[in-house]
Amino acid sequence: MKFGLKAALAALAISASATAAMADYPERPITMIIPYGPGGATDISARTIAEALGEAVGSPVIMVNRAGAGGATGSVAVQNAKPDGYTMLFARVGSHTVNPAMKATLPYTLADFRFVGVYEINPVACAVKADSDIKTIDDLIAKVKAGGVSYSSSGVGSLLHIAAAYVLKEFGIADPVKDAIHIPLKGGGAAATAVLNDTATFICTNSSALASFVANKQLKPLLVTTAEPIVGFDAPTSADLGKPALTQLVGWTGIAGPDDLPDDIAAKWGAWMKTATDDADFRQKMESRGSVIRLMQPAESQAFIEGQYAVFRKLVDDLGMRIEN
Amino acid sequence: MSLMDSFAAGLALVWSLESLLALVGGVLVGVIAGAIPGMSATMAVALTLPFTFAMTPITGILLLVGVYKGGIFGGSIPAILIKTPGTPASSATVLDGYPMAEKGQAGRALGMALWASCTADLISNLALILFAGWLASFALSFGPPEFFTLILFSLTIIAGVSGDSLLKGLISAIMGLLLATVGLDLVYGTNRFNFNDPNLMGGLNFIAVLIGLFAIPEILTMVWNPKGQEGQARGLGGGWVTWLDYRRCFKTIVRGSLIGVVLGSIPGIGAAPAAFLSYSEARRKSKNRDNFGKGEIEGVAASESGNNGVAGATLIPLLALGVPGDVITAIIIGAFMVHGLQPGPMMFVANADIIYGLFLGLIISSIALFFIGTVAIRGFRFVADIPKALLFPVVLVLCVYGVFAVNNNIFDIGVMFAMGWVGFMMLRFGVPAAPFLIAFILGPLLEDNFRQSMLMSGGSPEILFRGPITWFFWGLTVLTVVAIARAGLRVRSKLLEEKRT
Repeated sequence: MKFGLKAALAALAISASATAAMADYPERPITMIIPYGPGGATDISARTIAEALGEAVGSPVIMVNRAGAGGATGSVAVQNAKPDGYTMLFARVGSHTVNPAMKATLPYTLADFRFVGVYEINPVACAVKADSDIKTIDDLIAKVKAGGVSYSSSGVGSLLHIAAAYVLKEFGIADPVKDAIHIPLKGGGAAATAVLNDTATFICTNSSALASFVANKQLKPLLVTTAEPIVGFDAPTSADLGKPALTQLVGWTGIAGPDDLPDDIAAKWGAWMKTATDDADFRQKMESRGSVIRLMQPAESQAFIEGQYAVFRKLVDDLGMRIEN
Repeated sequence: MSLMDSFAAGLALVWSLESLLALVGGVLVGVIAGAIPGMSATMAVALTLPFTFAMTPITGILLLVGVYKGGIFGGSIPAILIKTPGTPASSATVLDGYPMAEKGQAGRALGMALWASCTADLISNLALILFAGWLASFALSFGPPEFFTLILFSLTIIAGVSGDSLLKGLISAIMGLLLATVGLDLVYGTNRFNFNDPNLMGGLNFIAVLIGLFAIPEILTMVWNPKGQEGQARGLGGGWVTWLDYRRCFKTIVRGSLIGVVLGSIPGIGAAPAAFLSYSEARRKSKNRDNFGKGEIEGVAASESGNNGVAGATLIPLLALGVPGDVITAIIIGAFMVHGLQPGPMMFVANADIIYGLFLGLIISSIALFFIGTVAIRGFRFVADIPKALLFPVVLVLCVYGVFAVNNNIFDIGVMFAMGWVGFMMLRFGVPAAPFLIAFILGPLLEDNFRQSMLMSGGSPEILFRGPITWFFWGLTVLTVVAIARAGLRVRSKLLEEKRT
C-alpha cells in the first residue's frame, strides 16, 4: 500500500512536471530552419513573419538558413529533429511539393512532417532583364524556338525549376527540358542576380522575390500566373493570355515540425500563427510585396499540400523530369 | 537634392544619442560575440535583428552594421590567442597571429589586428561611399565564367601557405577538395559520398572542420606530451603594436583593403577568401617572406585588412542592386524590408537621407571599433599568459560548445573531433592545414561555377575565355604558377649546389 502510494505520488510528480514542461513551452529560443539561401522568397517571407511570431511566441525565434539541394538539406534536419517544438521548418512549395514530386530518392516524404499551418500563397511571375529585346511572352517563345534560351533557378527541384518549364509548355514548347537550358544556382537571390548579369535569359518565380527588382526597373515582368493583376507588375495575367491552367502554378509557405510533433505544441503553433497573421503590420508588409496572406489550419494545410503535390507530380511525369537516382 | 543636402539630411539622422548608442553598442556586442568561438558574426547579427524592429530604420540598421563590423574584428582575438578562429573570416589570422602569441607577442599581434582592421574598414567605407555605383556594375559583370577564373586564381594561394614543401601543401589541398565534394550534386540533385546519411547531405559543417583542423590538434599535442611545453614560458602577453610596425605594414594593409573591397563587392564570395588572398599577396611581395607563418606581424596585418575590407564593400551590392552579397547582408536586407525600404537604385532617390545617414554612420563605426577594440584587447590579451594546462581544457569546452551552437547538431561535434585527428596527423607529418581549409572553402565555388558555365555554353570551354575579366585572371594564374615553378627550381638548384660543395 505504502509502495503503491509512493508510486502514485511519483507518477503524479512526473506527469505534473511533464505538463509543466509543456506549459512552459517555449522556455528557450526556437530554431526555425529556412531550407533556402538568403534573399530568396522563402527567406524574405520567413524573416517577415518571424517578427510577428516572435511577439506571439514571447521567446526568441532564431532563423537559420540551411540551403542546399532544393531545400532537402534543411528539411532533413527538421525531419530528424527531436519533436520538442524547438526545431521547426519553413516548408515551402519547392521543398515540400516540387522536390518530392521530382526526386525518387529524396530522404523524406510528406508523411515525415506535421504541418502546423500554411500562411502565405505567392503568385508566380516571369521576368527578363529590363533592357532585354524580349518584350512579351511571345517574343520569349520565339527565342526559345530559335534556341539558346536559359532560365535560372534556386536549385534542382525548386519551384523556379518547374515553373519555367511549365510556362514554356503551356505556350507550345513541346519539350521545354531540351529546348531551354536550366541553370541551377544557390538560392533565390542568386537566381535573380543571374538574370541581372546575363547568366540566364529569364526567371519564373514568386512575385515577392521579384517585386523590388521590378520596382527598381532592373527586371521587366512578362506575365503573372494569377487571374487577377498583381500590384506593381505591369504584365498580362493568365486570364489575359487565355491560359487558365497557369493559375495552378502558385507558391506557398508554411510551418512544419517532425511528424511526431505532439498535439499541444501543434495547437500552440496554430494559435501563434493566427496572432501573427492577424498582425496588421505583417499583412501590410507581405501584401505590399504581392503575397496573399491566407492562414490554413493544420488539417486544411495537409490537404492543400497533398493536392499541390498531385498537380506537380502529374506535371513532372508529363515533362519527363523525374530524377530517379 | 545636392550631395551636400543629402549629407546634411543624413547627419541629422545619425547625430542623435539613440543612433550613436546603437552604433557603439552594436560594435561592442559584435566584438564580444566574435571573440567567442562558434558564435560567428552571422549569428550575432541574426540574434540582434529582432531588437531592431522597434527602432527607427537608421538606428536599427546602424546597430546591425555595428555588430557585423565588431564581429569580424572580434574573431581575430581567439584566432591569435588560442588558435581558434572566432569567425571563419579570421582563419588566415591564425597563421601568423598564433605563432606571435607563442613568442609572447600577443598584445602586439592583437594591436596590429585592430589597427589593420580599422584602416581597412575606413578604406572599405570610403569605397562604398565614393564608388558604390561603379563597383556594383563591375560586380554585375561577374557571371559564372568570371567567378570560375577568379576562384582558380585564388587556388594559387595554396602555394603561399604551404610552408616548406609545396608537395605537402598540394596533398593537403587535394584532401580539402575531396572532402568538399561530400553532399548533394548541384546540377542533378543526386547523392554524393554521403552514404545516405542525411547529416552528410548538406556537406560537412564549415565551422566544425575549421575548429577541428586548427584548435583540436594543439590540444591533442598537449595531451600526447603534457611535459613538452613546460620548459618554455610563453612570456607575458604584454607589448603593444608600435607606430613603426604600422608604417612598415601600411602598404600591405592598403593592398589587403583593396582586395577586400573588390571581393566584397562581388556577391557570393565572402570574407575568408579575401583574407587568404590578401595574406598570400602580402607574402609574395614582402621582404620578410621567409618569416611568414612563423609569427610575422605583416601576415596578421594582411589577413585582418583583407577580411575587414569586405565589411563595408558587401553593402555595395546590397544598396546599389538590392542583392545580398553574403548571409549577414541578407539579414541586414531583411531589416531594410521590415521598415518598408527597398534597397536598390531607387533607394538613392527615394530615401537619400537614410543612405547618407548610413554612410556617415559607417565612418563613425570605424572610429568606434578602434576605441572599443583597444579596450577589449587590454582585457583579453592576458589570456595568453594563462598556463596551457589551465587554458586548454577551457578551450576544448569552448570548441565543443561553439561547434554545437552553429546548427544545434551533435553530429558536427563528431566531425570536429574527426577533423581534429586528421589535423593532428597532418601536424605530425608536417602537412600544413591552411591549404586544406582554402581548398575546402573554394572547392565547391570552383565546381559550381564551372558547371554553371558549362550549362550556359552547352559544354563548350570557350566561355571560360569570354571577356577581359576572364583573360585577366587566366593571365594572373599563369604568371603565378610560373613564378611558383621558378622559385621552386631556384631552391632546388641551390640545394644541389650545396650538396656538391
